[in-house]
Amino acid sequence: MTSPPDVDPLKSPPAAESPAASIVLPKRRHSPSASLASLPYRRSNQSLSTLFASTSSLSKSRPSSGTATPTPSAHANSPFSPGPSNGASSPLVASQGRPDEPRNLILRSFVPHVGVLASVDTEEMLQEKGFPGGLLQLVRPFGELIPGKVTIRDSIGSNRSWEDFGVRFTGLKDGLKSARRSLSGRKSTDSRPDSRGGALDNVNPAWLRTGGDITQTEEVVDRHLSFAELQQDDISMDYLNHKEFSSGTPPASSPFHALYLRRLLSALPLSPHETFSHPVACVIAISSRCENPIEELRRLYGTTNTGDLRLPQWVDNSYLRYYVLVHDEDHDDVAKSTSLYQQMTRHFGLHCHMLRIRSNECLPSDDDSVRLPSSEWISSAEELAEIQRRETSDDVDDPTPCLFESDATAIRTFVRELVVQSVIPSMERLSAQWNEQVASRRRGLSGRFMSLSKKWTPFGSSSRNSSGPMSLNSGSNSNYDSLQGFYRPDAPEATMRKLADYAFMLRDFKLAQSTYDILRSDFNSDKAWKHYAGANEMAAISTLLNVQGLTNKTRTESIDQMLETATYSYTTRCMAPYYALRTLALGLELLRLRGSSAADDAARWGSRILEAGLVGPVGHAIFTERISACYASRKGIGSGSWGSRKRKSGLLAMLAADQWAKLGKYAQAEKALKEAKALYGVADSEGEGKKLPFDGMQMLSEELDEVLSANRMGSQEWGEDTIHPNDEPPVVEEVSEELETKPHRQSLIGVPAAPFAGLEATPLTPTRMEHAEPAVENQFEATETG
Amino acid sequence: MSYYFAIVGTKDNPLFEHEFGTSKQGGDGIARFREEARHMNQFIVHSSLDIVEEVQWGSGATYLKHIDRFHSNYISCFLTGTNAKFLLLHNPDTHHPSSSSLPPSASSSSPVTQFPRHPTPSTSSRGSTYGTPSSSYNPTAPAVEESIKNFFVDVYDAWVKTVMSPFYHVDGVVRSPVFRARVQGAARKFL
Repeated sequence: MTSPPDVDPLKSPPAAESPAASIVLPKRRHSPSASLASLPYRRSNQSLSTLFASTSSLSKSRPSSGTATPTPSAHANSPFSPGPSNGASSPLVASQGRPDEPRNLILRSFVPHVGVLASVDTEEMLQEKGFPGGLLQLVRPFGELIPGKVTIRDSIGSNRSWEDFGVRFTGLKDGLKSARRSLSGRKSTDSRPDSRGGALDNVNPAWLRTGGDITQTEEVVDRHLSFAELQQDDISMDYLNHKEFSSGTPPASSPFHALYLRRLLSALPLSPHETFSHPVACVIAISSRCENPIEELRRLYGTTNTGDLRLPQWVDNSYLRYYVLVHDEDHDDVAKSTSLYQQMTRHFGLHCHMLRIRSNECLPSDDDSVRLPSSEWISSAEELAEIQRRETSDDVDDPTPCLFESDATAIRTFVRELVVQSVIPSMERLSAQWNEQVASRRRGLSGRFMSLSKKWTPFGSSSRNSSGPMSLNSGSNSNYDSLQGFYRPDAPEATMRKLADYAFMLRDFKLAQSTYDILRSDFNSDKAWKHYAGANEMAAISTLLNVQGLTNKTRTESIDQMLETATYSYTTRCMAPYYALRTLALGLELLRLRGSSAADDAARWGSRILEAGLVGPVGHAIFTERISACYASRKGIGSGSWGSRKRKSGLLAMLAADQWAKLGKYAQAEKALKEAKALYGVADSEGEGKKLPFDGMQMLSEELDEVLSANRMGSQEWGEDTIHPNDEPPVVEEVSEELETKPHRQSLIGVPAAPFAGLEATPLTPTRMEHAEPAVENQFEATETG
Repeated sequence: MSYYFAIVGTKDNPLFEHEFGTSKQGGDGIARFREEARHMNQFIVHSSLDIVEEVQWGSGATYLKHIDRFHSNYISCFLTGTNAKFLLLHNPDTHHPSSSSLPPSASSSSPVTQFPRHPTPSTSSRGSTYGTPSSSYNPTAPAVEESIKNFFVDVYDAWVKTVMSPFYHVDGVVRSPVFRARVQGAARKFL
């Protein structure tokens, strides 16, 4: 639309370039408001909607699907067809909305982290190229899914290939401090008092890239929900389609729940008690502009080792360093760079790579330009900042920078080589080594004795002191530094935790589980509560991921025990609600996949989330819906279907509907109410005139119906420009104009023009007002804190 | 301590409902459910029929004891010969009754603001708005189970006499004031 006239429109209409946009745009053609798409406020909304659409699903932003020519997807022509067509080639896409989606999500969320450190000249070069975030911004999206199969050898020596392997590129010190998080229970050596700046943009970008904040996750999901609410006509079709996929059977997962889970698991914070976010490798990059390259590399290495980029002392510093020479194709001589590269390989060995990219800025109108794929695993804070930035900017175009197709290919090759030839082999080597040297000693009979002798020291405290050869604090036999709350990285416990985490990330769940099991008893006797909770959490999760035919007995005995302990330790002993929520949410998902017999347990853990108050209102509604789905997945036996949980499921669906209505998310409420009615057998289609057995139940259901239909009527009336006999609206308008976030304001601009039917739903009737108000308040909070 | 007692017929339909509070420890026998908890009680009792149907075949007893829990609402059940079920909901926490998942507080007041800012204190305060199970109350304690059993047996006595009335037919709603008075009496006596 805004493309310069000299571009062939068939070839690359810029707006349709990103894969997400190609999904959004065709729908607009059909919406009655399509003709308005050229108005400025609609357009700025569009870049925003791209953002929402692209982040709402896992796989739409797959790097490989970014093509220069827009492919009109098949379902674009009819907004009602379910449209699995966009990218059905990928197994990942196929798994979306399917029951095993959470499993894939979990597999893909615990992956090796690779730090990125570039020299100043590299960053300058990339900033000229249009990437203000430098090398990290450029490579980050490409690490999320390694193209092609990745083969991993497990502890027994058998190979397994994975198509969805990935790594996370992070800044080296990302994940240390978040914009706001309680640091209680974690006393790291360099914990600064965490200060919460007013606006997110003033915050250090590394802080933004830290996840693990439930509140921000809620905020992001809330934004997505409000957006879906506003765009009932066109965009929400995307959301709704997910439901329609499995019409008839209970829905596997609402897209918002998947989003919530994904944001919860994005950007795991750096913490002593688990090593998932500790760097496995670090990419050290210089560019061909550098005058003294080898020296520069040494200097950069030095900063990671002893300098200001040295991670806190509980992080093992002997991670792999990978040296990259970024060659400037446009300005520098290849021959010179090649000789430099050869010199590098002589100095630093095999872990080197020459990345050849062009330094000229790539414009969207260029022939072979590709938009930088959006990152799927950005943290909630980052996404919030991005949403805010797009809301406030008047820029019409999608601000995502572009790069040349050749660059994209070069980066993909680089990332694949890094992962397949360096990261994975070194992880395999290290875990084999640790397994042999540390863990296997503890597995045999003598290992048992060792842990026994640790627990029962029969000779009193005097012998304790003398018998502790590696004690840090005199007076205790353990390697645990209870004052600062961590194990030194060279302690056997820390090594074993690392081994277990590596095994988990390499998807060798058997090894991981057995190692976590040993660790549980160790941490327990050391009273290292957070470590103990973490070991329990991961032991439960790896057991659930591992054993296919898990008997009921093991499940109830071991898994329940582990989840219980982990939750208790996280919440009560460590005050770490984020980790408790993660434990419970993952436990819930994995148990639910175990079929109907485990569904009860899954639901029980779900109610635990709600009872412990781990989530805010949005999360509350989402998890209520989730528990309802858990109960619904339990099938009964025999003609009376004894043992099914229809009534419970119905109750929770009803509660979810009520909650969504109170939050002002009427589309969600309607969906939940429909489901509840179907479960109670009083759905409008079949149970005409049927009533719920109890008066109070019927009353609530009718009330909800009323609220929802009032809301629907309200939005219609608005469109028809009817005069309503209501004296409240002026007040309402005032409130929403002041407090609502941008999308709402934009649609308020559009109010005078009549044909905006259905573009938005603004509160009209007093009934709705009551319920709508809190939502407005929430958003006010969001804008204030966000 | 508040109680909600319901007799449920074979088609999940309520035959009799009664609310009362404890009369022990100086209780005045008045239920302290919140207004919005009234229909929640019905929902909860209805939902635990799922569990009743499952456990009723497990043992020969008619008194199934404590069978289900929803936040801080505990359900005890007693079966009768005609498959009418006595369900007693007991809610120990009178200040934060079963509002649990209909949190007017969650949307209208401040948890949104409270929750992020002060994670530590709000965890506990939110916990109570959502109805954390009170730790002091144990529904499976022998004394509690015994007193509920006595209540059920007493009510069953009255129930049998009521349904023997020639004008009563199966699954009909019981409106007899005498029966209600008997239930009240049993509640005062045992709970």
